[in-house]
Order: sequence, then structure tokens, then C-alpha cells
Amino acid sequence: MPAPFRIVFEQRAETPKYLSALVPLISVLAALVAGALFLTATGYSATDTYKNMLDDGFLTYRGITETLGLSTVLICTGIAAAFSFQMNLYNIGGEGQLYLGMIGGAWAGLALGPHLPSFVMIPLVLIIGSFAGAVWIFVPAFVRARLGTSEIVTTLLLTYVASSLLKHFINTPDSFFRAKNVAFPQGRNVADSAALSPIGDTRLYPTFFVVVALALFLYWLVKKTEFGYRIQVIADSPRAAHYAGVSANRTTMSVMLLSGALAGLGGATLIVGPFARLDQGITLLGYGYAGIVVAALARNNFAGIIVSGILFAGLRVGGEKLQISTDTPKHIGVMMQGAILLFALGGEAFRRYKIRAVRMKAVAQ
Amino acid sequence: MSNTSHEVASGPYHSGGAAPSALSAHSVSKRFPGVLANDSVDFDIQPGEVHTLLGENGAGKSTLAAMLCGLYQPDSGYIARNGQRVVLSSPRAGLQHGIAMVHQHFRLVDRFTVAENVILGSRNLSFVLDRRSINERVSEVAESYGLPIDPTATVGDLSVGQRQRVEIVKALYQGAEILLLDEPTAVLVPAEVEKLFENVHAMTQAGKSIVFISHKLGEVVEISDRVTVLRGGKVTGHVSGRGATDTKDLARLMVGRDINLGTQRASHPTGHEVLQIRDVSLNVNGVNVLSNISFNVHEGEMVGIAGVAGNGQKELADTIAGLLSPTSGSISIGGATATDRGPIHARELGLAYVPEDRLGMGLVPSMSILDNLLLTRDRHIVVDRASVRPEATRLIEQFEIKANGPDHLARKLSGGNAQKVLLARELSGGRTATKLLVVCSPTRGLDVGAIETVRRLLDDARSAGQAILLISEDLDEIMSLADRILVLYRGSIAHETPGETAQIATVGAAMAGLTTGVNG
Ligand SMILES: Nc1ncnc2c1ncn2[C@@H]1O[C@H](COP(=O)(O)OP(=O)(O)OP(=O)(O)O)[C@@H](O)[C@H]1O
Ligand SMILES: [Mg+2]
Repeated sequence: MPAPFRIVFEQRAETPKYLSALVPLISVLAALVAGALFLTATGYSATDTYKNMLDDGFLTYRGITETLGLSTVLICTGIAAAFSFQMNLYNIGGEGQLYLGMIGGAWAGLALGPHLPSFVMIPLVLIIGSFAGAVWIFVPAFVRARLGTSEIVTTLLLTYVASSLLKHFINTPDSFFRAKNVAFPQGRNVADSAALSPIGDTRLYPTFFVVVALALFLYWLVKKTEFGYRIQVIADSPRAAHYAGVSANRTTMSVMLLSGALAGLGGATLIVGPFARLDQGITLLGYGYAGIVVAALARNNFAGIIVSGILFAGLRVGGEKLQISTDTPKHIGVMMQGAILLFALGGEAFRRYKIRAVRMKAVAQ
Repeated sequence: MSNTSHEVASGPYHSGGAAPSALSAHSVSKRFPGVLANDSVDFDIQPGEVHTLLGENGAGKSTLAAMLCGLYQPDSGYIARNGQRVVLSSPRAGLQHGIAMVHQHFRLVDRFTVAENVILGSRNLSFVLDRRSINERVSEVAESYGLPIDPTATVGDLSVGQRQRVEIVKALYQGAEILLLDEPTAVLVPAEVEKLFENVHAMTQAGKSIVFISHKLGEVVEISDRVTVLRGGKVTGHVSGRGATDTKDLARLMVGRDINLGTQRASHPTGHEVLQIRDVSLNVNGVNVLSNISFNVHEGEMVGIAGVAGNGQKELADTIAGLLSPTSGSISIGGATATDRGPIHARELGLAYVPEDRLGMGLVPSMSILDNLLLTRDRHIVVDRASVRPEATRLIEQFEIKANGPDHLARKLSGGNAQKVLLARELSGGRTATKLLVVCSPTRGLDVGAIETVRRLLDDARSAGQAILLISEDLDEIMSLADRILVLYRGSIAHETPGETAQIATVGAAMAGLTTGVNG
């Protein structure tokens, strides 16, 4: 006699809309539970830790402005990743493009800054940073479009090159980017006209609103324009695209270049914002990689990325503060990010399958 | 006619004896948003039996078959195998119960070879694949059922007919006892259908069961032991006993009226040349797919291209549509050259094209009907969906497309309804007024009522002066519609004849490569 019940996974013919929204939410909750178990097991108080994180990340004035400030760059790298992912192109080199955005932005700030007023300089830094990000992805985009070479490998490898380049610019004696007369190698501050001042006494810069507007614009672009339409056709059926005369090569190029530019923009916001100079500390922060997670949690929905970007920023800010205010290691914040990603990916199963227990019985003849 | 009944059966029909059915569905229902695709359907199949599901496009046949093989799960009711209730939670679970389905829309991996596709999903594979022995085994299975196929060919390069064959071989290879064939003959030529039916007989002799879905009533009469008619998701009729009915009865049972699929030809003398093809050759990877093709199609004329799948029809159509560049030769549409100018240029010259492959080429599955209508049209920088919506609604009505409205996703349409969307778009004109209509297998997968409609629309287009190139493996269709028939064999025109005086035997022989003469 086999077991009277069996748990079966049934493929859903249709994913209800509410589930698409619910799954990311539940993933976050599940990650919190998992984190609590871990904290308790290692002898920390889960409730205290979470309360601290919540306060420091979201609920205090200082915390929330810090979070929104950090989210600026995460939303940028998030939309950069999502923009390519939605066409089944996997630009995972946002990290490297971000470095290039910083380099490009810093160059503009240093070379042109002294000669130009602020209202020209700020947009210029952002544009040149974006352009540098696009340049950095040009070769992967080109070989992907022309030869079909995997962009996953090329964009990732170029990240290492970008990281070396950044360090080179800071460490080389007499480098244009390097601060003079300082023993320890570090970047030179950009001209004042290339630096924004934060809002009030916070670390939140006006670029946050620019980036949020940009995410909403992309949302509209994909849903409503001819360009977005083409992306959808190619993503779903390349053969239909060919049939309709939609050029996959051209669109692949544009999407990849835009993706690189968005990541570069992220780097440039750091130059006009909190960094104001080339800083090799950026290579330890992983903002570009975090963008992949931000995009995944939002399932490549540009409006959703605003939310997930802020959420991740809050976790990081809250995590950092923990280390300072209590003895809880700050890595709890990073761990939570990983857990959320895992649960979000696992949650896909619930979107696609129905899970139910079935009674097994013979049919009477 | 005596054992034909229109009443809804009260329970699963048993052909006698106490032996349990090989497979049965007990009042299964399946609801999709906005439509009850199956409504308390009872169905059963005995060992060694061919049981046909018949019904209009969107009647729920594929849905029922999908529940029988584990692809969908019933919302209510249940499935039993040999009288034992089973839960088929996935196609793999179905396969473990010896149930396999050959789908209407193929589920093959284009980039894999035939053999790789066939073994895909097999559980007992060694870690390192021994390709040679796998290729041999696949060939063996294929040939033992008279379905020869090259196991090393890449599926993406195969014609639809050949892909179909791969699907059937795959099911057989996996040891299916019950085979669900969803419109398997839609893409086969008569000789291939005959072969398939021989295999079906061989399989039923061996005690296997076949659930057969087809819109071709002649075939249904020929092969079925029993027929169940579905309409709007409900069982509306049964016929049992081989040869107990004829096509007229079945048509009436299905659509509730008589169907007339008579011959239709150009009513007035044809005008200028619209399509001119001069010495077109096409070489793909060193193989001559088309060699020295020359012919014209005139205003108000329908030229039919007959031939067995894989003789260059698909490539010919793609070349005319600007999707492939001919190796040599020239093509002009409406007097302007279209050689090597790409699909958009061809459309601007007045081309409309219904490709052989509807979902994935003609239509984008994840897009709505509305967005699919926009695929071959001019789109503004900001896509203006609102202005196309009324037209979409009108086309849905005109073509009797069973859908919840313009926002219904293409992949959620039944096979025949997807085909109707494609036809609706291409027949309703796009960038410019249509001058040349290239249609491949336009009625494949349509129910008899819809076939009647589409043939009328094609005839209307012809009467309106459009030049039509009808490429079809359905010889009957070509014989009854085309003003001129060309037979394509191994990439060359093997035979040419006026439609009026065409002899089915001669055309059939040319399709099989038995004659090379051009007559007429
Ligand atoms: N995945 C799905 N989501 C929503 N609706 C669906 C889905 N699959 C089928 N339908 C709807 O269910 C109904 C029955 O579809 P089904 O595919 O079973 O028809 P069918 O009898 O096989 O028709 P055809 O002869 O055209 O292939 C149709 O109205 C169809 O639009
Ligand atoms: Mg069907």
C-alpha cells in the first residue's frame, strides 16, 4: 500500500497576477525568518538586531536619507542589469561599467570642471560617465551582435580589466587622477562645479530623483514605444523578429550599449555625489553586482527596481550601522541580501507550480 | 448512421467487457481565464483502439489531450489509467504511465540534432553520451515504424513535416503505450499519411492505443474506431464503429450545418505580372535548396506550389519575402526589384506573407493579438495601440477568432485560432495595399467551417486582383483552388499544369519525383 497522500507539483497554466507581486514579498519575509534563525543560533538577539537594522536603515531621518542616497547607485545598476536581462542578454559586467562611469565622470570633473559652471558640469559629468560605461560594453555588444559570442563571459572579464584600470589611475605616480602631495595614493577631488551638494545635512543627493525618473521613463519606454516593442519581439522569438524585418543585431547593440550607459551613469552619480573623486574603495562595495540582485528581485520590472533598490540599500545601511552600534557583524546585512535572492529564485517555483497534496485511491470499477 | 448519437453520454463509454479502459477521463473540467475549455468531459480509450477527438477550433480537444498526458491538471474530475486513478502531475509522470503526446505546436529544441531531441528527457542515459549508439538506436526505432529520419540533422533546419516526424519518433522511442496525436497529419502529404496510418495499425495491433485529433474528416472516417465530438468544451456527440459514418455527417455533427468545399478558380482573365521570379537558385551550406526557379504570378491569379515537405517550399517563400537572399537570380514584385532587399522592402512593394510556421515566426507567442497585428505594420515611435484596437476587435469578429478580446495572448489561443490571427493580419493589408499574397498551408489546423471561410477569403482576394502564391502540402486544397499548379521537387519545378485540367495522379507522381516533364 503506497502512502495515501502525495505532494505533487503541478505546472500552472497561468500565473495569477497577485502571485507575481506576492512572491518577492514572501521571499523577503522568508529571508528575515532564515536570518533570525541564524542570529539566534549564533547567540545574537534576532529581535534586537532587526529592530536596529530597521531603525538605522528606514525609520530614522538619518537612516532613511542614507538609504535613499545609497539606493541611487543601486537603482542605476539595477535598471542597467534589467535592461539587458529583459532581452535575454546577460550583461553581468555592470560593476566594470560602473568603474568606467566613475573614471569618465572624474575625468570630466577634473579636466573640464575648472572651466565650466555647475549647471553645465553636472549634466556633463553624468553624460560622460554614461558614455564611458557604454564604451566599456561596446566590444562585448559588438561581438555578441555580430558573432553571437556570449556576453556573459566578455562583460564579466572586462570588469577585472576595469578594476585594474581604476587602480592604475589612482596608484600611478603623476597620474592625472591622483591627488598630489599626498603620501597615500588616492584620487584628486573634482572641481567644485562638478560636485552637487547633498540635500540639507543628509547624504542624499538630487541625483536620486533623476534616477527614479529615469527608471519610470524606462518602464514607459518598454511598454509603450516601438523600441520596447522590438525588444519584446526579439526576446520572445528571434524568428518572428526576422520575419517582420526587426533587426536583432541593431537592437542587441542598442540594448547592450544602453545597459552599459546606465551602469556608467551609476558611477557618475558617485562622482557628482558622495565620492567626488576616483576612489578604489569602490571595488570593495560591489554596487554593480548588487544591481543584478536588485533586478532579479524586481523580476526586471523597472518600477519594481525602485522598490527593491531602496530595500537593498536599507539592508546595507542598517547592516553597516549594526557593526558600529552593536557588536553584531555587519555581514548580516550582506547575508540577508543573499538570502533574499535565494528565496526570490526559489519563489519562482511557486509562481510556476501549484503545490498540493493528493489523495491516492483506486477507482472502483 | 444508426449508431450516431447527438446526445451527451452520461458516462464513459465502454466498448464492452469488464476490462478497465487503458486510459479514461472522468468528468474533467478545465477553466482558463474567460473560458471553460473542458466542461465535465468523459472520455475513455481501450487497448488497441483508435479514438478520435473531433471539434471546431477552440472546442477543447488539445486541452483534453493535455490533461490526459499530464501537461495540464483538471480543475475537477480525474484521470484513470487501467481503472486506477492517477495523478499526472507532469508530462514526465504521464510518460511513466506510458502516455505520450505529440503536440500541435512542436516542442523540440531547434539547436539540437534529431537524436538529441529524441533522447531529451530520457531518464536512463549514461553520463557520457555515446552519440553513435544513440544515433543508431534512434534510426532503428524510426525505421521500424517506417519513419526514416536522419538522426544527425539539426532540428532547426528541418521542415515542419520532418519535425512532426521527430516528435512521433520521440514518443515511440520513449516507449509510449498510449499515444496522443494532436493533428499529426496536418503537415503530412498523402503518402506520408498513409504510412502513418500503417504505423497506427501496427501499433494498435500490438495493443497500443491512439488518441487522434484531426480536422481532416476523410482521415477520421478512415482510421477511427470511435469518434467523440466536442463543442464549446462539452461532449456533444459520439460515433462508434469503424466506417459507421461519413464526412458529411461528421461535418454536420461538428459545426451544425453542411459544408461546401468545392473548387474555386479565377473568374476573369488574369492581368499583369505581379511576381516575377527569374532563375532563382539558393544554396544553403553547400546544398542546392532551389535551382533555377522561374515563374510568374499575375494579378487575379492563384498559383499553387505543390510538393512534399522539405523540397524547397519554405525557402522559396522566405526568398520571395526577402528573408533569404538568393544565391543567383532575381525577384521582382509589382515591377520593382525585391532581390536581396529585406522583408520590409518586400512588404512596402505590396507583399503579405503567411509563413508555414505560425507560432514563433508568424506570431509572437507572448504578445497579445493586438500586438501581433502590429508586427508587420508601420509602428510609430510611440506605439499607438488605441487606434488599432477597434480594428483588432473587428478582425476577431470577422474571422470568428475564439478569444477574450484583443489582449488575449497568442500562446493562449487554440491552434486553429492562432492561425486565424495570422491570416487576419496578412489578409487585411499592412503597410501598403496587398498586391502579392504568399500563403503557406493557410488552412492547416483549421476546422472545416474555418477552412470554408479562409478559402472564400483567398478567393475574394483573388477576385480583388491580388496575385496569390499558395504553397501547400495539402494537394486537395491546391487542386481545388489554384489556377496553375507547379510541383516543386528537390528545389526545381518538376511539373506545371493548369489547375482546371490537373490530374491528381500526374501531380502526385511529380511530387514523388517520378516525372520531370513540364507540361502545359
Ligand atoms: N493556456 C491557455 N490559457 C488560456 N486559454 C487557453 C489556453 N489554452 C487554451 N485556451 C483556450 O481554451 C479553449 C480550448 O482550446 P484548445 O486548444 O483545447 O482547442 P482545440 O479544440 O485544440 O482547438 P484547435 O482545433 O484550434 O487546435 C480555447 O478557447 C482557447 O483559447
Ligand atoms: Mg488544438
